Amino acid sequence: MVNLTIDDKQVTAPRTATIYEAAKINGIKIPILCHDKKLKPFGACRMCLVEVEQMKGRQIPACTTPVTEGMIIRTTTPDIVKARKMVLELLLLNHPLDCPVCDKSGDCDLQNLTYEYKVNSNRFKDEKFNHTIDYNNPLIERDMNRCVLCGKCARICDEIVSYGALTFIDRGIETKIGCEFDDGLNCEFCGSCISVCPVGSLLARPFKHKARFWAMTKHTSVCSYCGTGCNLTLGVKDNKVLTTIYDEEQGFHKGQLCVRGRFGYQFINSTKRLTKPLIKKNGRLIESTWDEALELVAGRLKGGTEVAALATPRLTNEELALFKKLLLENIGTKNFDHAAGFAHAALTDGLEKSFGTPASSASILDIQKSDFLLVIKTDAYETHPVVGFEINMAVKNKGSKLNIISDKRGKLSKLPETNTFVHVPGSEVAVLNALAKIILDEKLVSAAAASVPGYAELEKALVPFSAEAVSVQSGIAAADIKKLAYEYAAAEKALIIFPIGQGYAGHAADLASAVANLAILTGKYDKEGCGVLCLSEKNNSQGAVDVGFYAQDGALGGLQILDACSTGTVKTLFIAGENPLTSYPDRSRVKAALEAVEFLVVSEMFLTETAAMADVVLPVCSFAEKDGTFTSTDRHVQYFKAAIRKSVQIKSDHEVFSALITLLGGTAPTSPSATFSEIASKTPGYSGLSHVSLRKDGAYAPVVITPSLVVTQVAPYKTVEQGKLAMVTGSALYHNGTLSQHGEGPMHVCPEGYIELSRADATAQKITDSDMINVSSSTGSMQLKVKVSPRMPAGVVFVPYHFSESPINTIWSGSPVTLVALAK
Amino acid sequence: MNPITPIINGMKITLKHMFMKPVTLQYPTERPQVAERFRGLHGLKVSHSKAKCVACYLCPTVCPAKCITVEAAEDSNHDKYASVYEIDMLRCIFCGYCVEACPVDALKMTGEFELANYKREDFIYSKERLLEK
Ligand code: SF4
Ligand code: SF4
Ligand code: SF4
Ligand code: SF4
Ligand code: SF4
Ligand code: FES
Repeated sequence: MVNLTIDDKQVTAPRTATIYEAAKINGIKIPILCHDKKLKPFGACRMCLVEVEQMKGRQIPACTTPVTEGMIIRTTTPDIVKARKMVLELLLLNHPLDCPVCDKSGDCDLQNLTYEYKVNSNRFKDEKFNHTIDYNNPLIERDMNRCVLCGKCARICDEIVSYGALTFIDRGIETKIGCEFDDGLNCEFCGSCISVCPVGSLLARPFKHKARFWAMTKHTSVCSYCGTGCNLTLGVKDNKVLTTIYDEEQGFHKGQLCVRGRFGYQFINSTKRLTKPLIKKNGRLIESTWDEALELVAGRLKGGTEVAALATPRLTNEELALFKKLLLENIGTKNFDHAAGFAHAALTDGLEKSFGTPASSASILDIQKSDFLLVIKTDAYETHPVVGFEINMAVKNKGSKLNIISDKRGKLSKLPETNTFVHVPGSEVAVLNALAKIILDEKLVSAAAASVPGYAELEKALVPFSAEAVSVQSGIAAADIKKLAYEYAAAEKALIIFPIGQGYAGHAADLASAVANLAILTGKYDKEGCGVLCLSEKNNSQGAVDVGFYAQDGALGGLQILDACSTGTVKTLFIAGENPLTSYPDRSRVKAALEAVEFLVVSEMFLTETAAMADVVLPVCSFAEKDGTFTSTDRHVQYFKAAIRKSVQIKSDHEVFSALITLLGGTAPTSPSATFSEIASKTPGYSGLSHVSLRKDGAYAPVVITPSLVVTQVAPYKTVEQGKLAMVTGSALYHNGTLSQHGEGPMHVCPEGYIELSRADATAQKITDSDMINVSSSTGSMQLKVKVSPRMPAGVVFVPYHFSESPINTIWSGSPVTLVALAK
Repeated sequence: MNPITPIINGMKITLKHMFMKPVTLQYPTERPQVAERFRGLHGLKVSHSKAKCVACYLCPTVCPAKCITVEAAEDSNHDKYASVYEIDMLRCIFCGYCVEACPVDALKMTGEFELANYKREDFIYSKERLLEK
């Protein structure tokens, strides 16, 4: 700490603080325009000028100058006010000042400062800027006439997003922020640049002219797409969510969002939302009343084990817990599951065995504290972009070493000094086992490892996984595998990250255990900056596991439930929010099951293709219309409140399950918070939590680990066959599950399914970008649009699974690698 | 005093006034001379055959009676305009703040004061009705 005097006040500040930070800590406000606490100091605008006595009263920028012992600083002398006024006059000189039509008005730093410093006239005269406005993309409008050249957009896009779409171009008075070749913007559309722009140069087009900043009420919430658990501020007017608002104080991510969180909110007020219960009569779904629908459903639920359920992990913890209670206690069936069963196996089977608890040992906050990051699949960026930002920052700012084991390259591969080891699809578990074997053979294990149960068995089971053997199988050089093992073992803090989800069938129990083995062998699992971070796919995937909404004790799992529908052992199927027809493997199997089951109930926001097959469809509300908690991938339990009122004919899933419990003669909890107290009393790590205690920042549910070393099964996949390519599935950056199809932003940039293939394969098959080609596998064939990309290795193609219009489960039956043939 | 006297005195005054020139304005046969600064019905000014209003929402923001509804939209040239502009004359208190707030001088108050109508809906003046003719 250093002592200094700011405006005659004796204060202290950390040694590393700048004058601006020191003042801020002590409640003294210095105006800024180009500074952002997330970014490196820049010093472009000179709004933050202060006088320092030791510097002979010279005016220096507070945002870039570090404090020193005994500094005497003045922040508002008449000279400084004059200087700041001049800065504003010069900025306003070429500024269009079209606040009446500028969406930033009301939230604009330039406008606020102009008002605060009473800049009513301008001593200077010059022409206004006349830059062409960039309307080239559907999400971000760039009006460089309003730009104050603070550089924040270019800096955030480089420092945090690591995309580098924007930069200063030209010199002197001509300087502006531009894109490649001064062309239109075409990037990953995370919107980070919009959020930090202090003026109206960068604006969200989906929100264009929708409302004034001051006319909206702001509601904090939690993003309902992926498991990162980003916090959101929703801008609401007339009971409609109109936009997401940036709040740099929110969450670990300081208000940063990805394209889905920022631009994908339109499903909330979509006109396609279901508004009334539907009942199938004479083969058609007819609008009905809640009483009739619930009565009918309750009657069909009295079937004990003939009833089964699938729920989406997008529901709140309270809803999943209540659904489970309904199924177990009031209906009497254990047959319920989520995420097709396999997509949560990494947690419920893999980490459960290895760590004794179905949860990751590390949190997202550990990423920036780690020296060595090992990512399995570059897709971790696409599935969890804001976790990707943390990885970017760890590598670029903190100097963490990043290594990636993946079946294709990706955005993370472009980070500085990053090694991407591209392996043959499906061989990741073998590679991880080879790493474990080297660590064992070379005595790189931690002292405690030998006493962990399963050590001897693992040592024996790893015999076939010599670096050389695995090198042949995976295509990664033996020397690289060895080097990686040494580096991992040598790193002080090492963290392994891998995504799971319905597109990642290979990332199941064995992969999770193979990863956990490495962490346990080297003792890097329960320390800061170390461990295993399994990125769960949906906003509440971890919560669904925590409340136990999955098949246990020999009950039927996701896919078995479908088979039981086909064979007739399950007669009533209740699907809450899942869309298996598009997102579960093997479409014909799913379709057969849904057709065969006697009675199908679907509770949904939209009439999905699954809901269209139902006997009863119950319209339920979105996250913005209900209260509850979500548990993010690192067990951050977060409470959120409804931002808008739901329409009268819609119920929350919690209300639906409560009503059904009552109809079946049970007693239902009165509110989600009552259900939550029940969860808190039963769930490990949740004890003591309540809606009230979670209200502010939520809480991390502690993870207690009992390590075991687990022998993993390595299934060999056939990846080469004459004339065929190895297809891997997964997530696209712009989408998450099938819900993002109802977000305008994601659909603007990525409206349809596609197949991504290497240049070599494209040339060989004489295919070019945007061609429609026929892709066929042993289970079916379909048309997909081609995306030729340099990141794909020859012989491997990638398809994302989110789209109802191009359901890839027609050609994919759940194998991590599928052989496909392409034809024009 | 005789109780009849005050009545007679009163009648006298009444009779006298019957033959005097009336002091009030004989509306509707006579029309008032409305002062230039009178605050009557609003008018949306037109320039280049378009409403000048750019839908900045300042008038609905400042309006103390909260009777102005504006909805903005983007036209084919990416310019902002008011796709909806409505004033509920039943709630308007004719304070003129809206006119004062308008940054582009798009709004005025006219001398039009005959705002009576039969149906409540008819008191809601749409953009079409407010545009100066
Ligand atoms: S950027 Fe700010 S000052 Fe400039 S026109 Fe927009 S609101 Fe007004
Ligand atoms: S939207 Fe994101 S990727 Fe695109 S320019 Fe802005 S910060 Fe960069
Ligand atoms: S566009 Fe905005 S963020 Fe970027 S330099 Fe200009 S004012 Fe700053
Ligand atoms: S989708 Fe995931 S990463 Fe993106 S904003 Fe939402 S929670 Fe964050
Ligand atoms: S203040 Fe003027 S420009 Fe703004 S909405 Fe009202 S009439 Fe239109
Ligand atoms: S805020 Fe310090 S120079 Fe811009």
